[in-house]
Amino acid sequence: MQEVFASLGTGFGVALAPFNIMLVLIGCFAGTLIGALPGIGPINGVAILLPIAYGLGLPPESALILLAGIYYGAEYGGRISSILLNVPGDAGAVMTTLDGNPMAKRGEAGRALSLSAIASFVGGTFAVILMSMFGPALARFAVTFSPSDYVALMVFAFASLASLVGKNPWKTLMGALIGLMLATMGIDGNTGVPRFTFGVPDLLAGIDFLIVVIGLFGMAELFHLVEQQVTGKLQTLPVDSSFVRMADLARTKWTILRASIIGFFIGILPGTGASVASAVAYGAEKRAAGADTSEFGKGDVRGLAAPEAANNAAASGAMVPMLTLGIPGSGTTAILLGALMLFNVQPGPLLFTQHPEIAWGLIASMYVGNVALLIINLPLVGLFARMLTIPQHYLTPLIAILAFIGVYSIVGNPFDLFLIILLGMFGWLLRKMEFPLAPVILGFVLGGLFEDNLRRALSISAGDWGILVESWKSLALYGLAVLAVVLPATLSYLNKRRARDRAPT
Amino acid sequence: MIDRIFAGTLLLITLAYGFIAFTLIKAPFQYDPIGPEGWPQILAIVAVICLIMLMIRPDVDSLDTSRPTWIKLACASAMLFAYAELYEPLGFIIATALFATLMARLLGAAWGRSAAFGITIGVAGYLVCAGLMGLNLPAGPLPKI
Amino acid sequence: MKIAALKYCVAGLLLASSAALADVTAPECIAPAKPGGGFDLTCRVAQTGLAAQFDKPIQVTFMPGGIGAVAFSQFNTTRTDDPNAIVAFSSGSLLNIATGKFGEFTENDVRFLATVGADFGAVVVRADSNFETLDDLMAVFKENPAEVVVGAGGSVGSQDWMKGALLLKSVESSPRDMRYVSFEGGGEALAALLGGSIDMVTADVGEVITHLEAGNIRVLAVLSPERLDAPFDQIPTAIEQGYDVEWTIMRGFYMGNNVPDADYQTWADAFAKAYETEEFRKIREEKGLLPLNLSGAELDTKVKQRIGELRQIARDAGLIK
Repeated sequence: MQEVFASLGTGFGVALAPFNIMLVLIGCFAGTLIGALPGIGPINGVAILLPIAYGLGLPPESALILLAGIYYGAEYGGRISSILLNVPGDAGAVMTTLDGNPMAKRGEAGRALSLSAIASFVGGTFAVILMSMFGPALARFAVTFSPSDYVALMVFAFASLASLVGKNPWKTLMGALIGLMLATMGIDGNTGVPRFTFGVPDLLAGIDFLIVVIGLFGMAELFHLVEQQVTGKLQTLPVDSSFVRMADLARTKWTILRASIIGFFIGILPGTGASVASAVAYGAEKRAAGADTSEFGKGDVRGLAAPEAANNAAASGAMVPMLTLGIPGSGTTAILLGALMLFNVQPGPLLFTQHPEIAWGLIASMYVGNVALLIINLPLVGLFARMLTIPQHYLTPLIAILAFIGVYSIVGNPFDLFLIILLGMFGWLLRKMEFPLAPVILGFVLGGLFEDNLRRALSISAGDWGILVESWKSLALYGLAVLAVVLPATLSYLNKRRARDRAPT
Repeated sequence: MIDRIFAGTLLLITLAYGFIAFTLIKAPFQYDPIGPEGWPQILAIVAVICLIMLMIRPDVDSLDTSRPTWIKLACASAMLFAYAELYEPLGFIIATALFATLMARLLGAAWGRSAAFGITIGVAGYLVCAGLMGLNLPAGPLPKI
Repeated sequence: MKIAALKYCVAGLLLASSAALADVTAPECIAPAKPGGGFDLTCRVAQTGLAAQFDKPIQVTFMPGGIGAVAFSQFNTTRTDDPNAIVAFSSGSLLNIATGKFGEFTENDVRFLATVGADFGAVVVRADSNFETLDDLMAVFKENPAEVVVGAGGSVGSQDWMKGALLLKSVESSPRDMRYVSFEGGGEALAALLGGSIDMVTADVGEVITHLEAGNIRVLAVLSPERLDAPFDQIPTAIEQGYDVEWTIMRGFYMGNNVPDADYQTWADAFAKAYETEEFRKIREEKGLLPLNLSGAELDTKVKQRIGELRQIARDAGLIK
């Protein structure tokens, strides 16, 4: 532990050099701006700004600090479009729309933005602390997760989703199935056979996650706005000067802590990430709330804080296997890995001994980055919230323009512009028919992981299904999954019985 | 009624999906017992059950969307498709200016204000996104920055 | 289309005086994927390594969609004669062409231009594995291939699978008897190897360097034609151990089929010149590529021959009819 503090000291020496502080601030700011565009999350934000950062000719540790700033900035920025426009910036921000957007719609955008900034800060910082203390040991544990353990993890994640069930459980299930079915389009990762591509080359690689999110959420939101405009149901919101209150923080402190722990541990597993983490955290929170869940989905502060803390903790958690083992756990860390290699820094077990100034400088800059973001973002909350006061006849086309910029600049294929419009029409219809949209997205994200790992596990065992229940990790996760489904039902039954027992007296 | 129609349409699509999964998808050979077709087959079966349940127990009667709303929605869709179609040929600035102007007009802004909004957003959007942030946007016939 | 032509005319006139290079006025490198992957890297090598060869910097643009199929079909339909654009390819693209994944178009519908470098296959096991040498592994492959769980970062029919299939074939076992697990990318496969879920990975030399230095893994053989330079000079090739298996991952560029010969030659010469420069060597090394310098007609012939071989392997394995 002594060693860790000494090394961290060295790291802070690097990160707190005035020039590097300036870079973190610039990175955070640019990242926030680019992350605020719908659909452009941290993956694409970093990928887009990476060449620019590289082109500046900075020394490696400074360049990486700049990138870390961009990464965190984009991670934070993603929640802005989730809350204000109901369009998640990336997979991890899907759950943020559930309670964040209703808050904005009832005139509490500032409160939602500032609370989520604090939740993100705590989640991110918590994860960085755990990472600097126990990084290497955790990474060694994370790689022992076998494909069959991942199957169990997916079962657990879907079981957590049971908490998302809305009015009609069949519609929730159908929503998840639509997502799962969309995810099967494209070349099968296992056998290389194209599925449901109808000979269209643009579909060979499947539908990009970004397209599904922007289509089902962003464009559907646009149609919804047009409809409300016509029926006169829509009023421009007054200037919103709400801000997070002490009471909110007091109410969500355990939520944030729980979600940070969940997020970090799911984040360190290669292949899973912010999306799974925020879904599980949201489910756990709703369950922990017991009987008091009526506000979830309508703008409950806990429903906003949980996924935000979890997805930022997961984002930092994903850095653990990347830095210590050289194994990227998510798309974004894969790009950061590429960035490190651009600067001739090879992440892996030797990084900490060969380039301590870079490894610890980067970790220290994550601490600094988190603080910088809080400082930059809280004053900007008012500015962003003001976006909602733009009259609807300007805001509505703006959603389409931003969505087009996001899709085109990243995917660069006009075919996808048509896809988002079609998905938007479909999403609008689903919404009209009272299908919840979040299960569609989660089905889409988790479906591929579920299928791939199931088939991997069965390839390893040469077809023996017994492999699925072989390890204690799998069994523990199945146990949790059963608890996740059974516990809330039992609790509410007990509560009712207690209430009934008490009633006669 | 409308929910039955919707579920019925989804059912038709799912049946087509299932048909493809059960007949057309096949790997030359595979190492896992499920193969590329197994997972979609499972999904199709569960989805069919689910949709039948939805048809038996519908809960949304009508879309509650009036004729003028449908017309505006159709206009908005047409504009979006045109925007997508013209995005590359006309370039970001012109396509966006046209789209933003017409869309703002459709939603009730005055012609003058709509045009001012459209042109501003086209030019400013390009300068900020392509110029400052270095995003890849189509320049069209105008010179690239 | 007309407007675009006009634009090129005007730009051409303006630059005609300064450009020594016929029609290559706005060099563009197309990475047929999203930013951040191998095609991006390929273009970056050209961008930096060829900077001195053109008056204007090479623009990198991304054209994702269908594992490169979208770009491939565009250069077979609308941009067959664009003298400014080169498109990145890898051996993976060649395999896709060979197995017909790119649809109706074949290797004869584009012109292969130049390579920027190469990587080579590697047979990797855990450091504490029972397989001490390639012979140990191959003995099991010969007797009972199903005893070894092979993992890799690609699907059945991908490059990584091909490496495993060729290893089995070299001892007259059927690739179908392999116990093959596909992961999403080499990183995940290596993680599964370290975690003990699988016994062996058919990886690339470039992605195993750190693990090798850290002592986590053992590389039983590299699948290069000859021994590589340090730090890999201690690792024997499969060929010198008596197994005829070679897998070179080539990275390079192609152009449309109707590009005028003069322009094609301009590009080919630019690459040939760049190969000799220090900048090119430096950027190639930075991007983790090993030297492989082939340009112009020499490469075109070689690639087309290679695709023919790949098609034969795929047919033997039953991947295509």
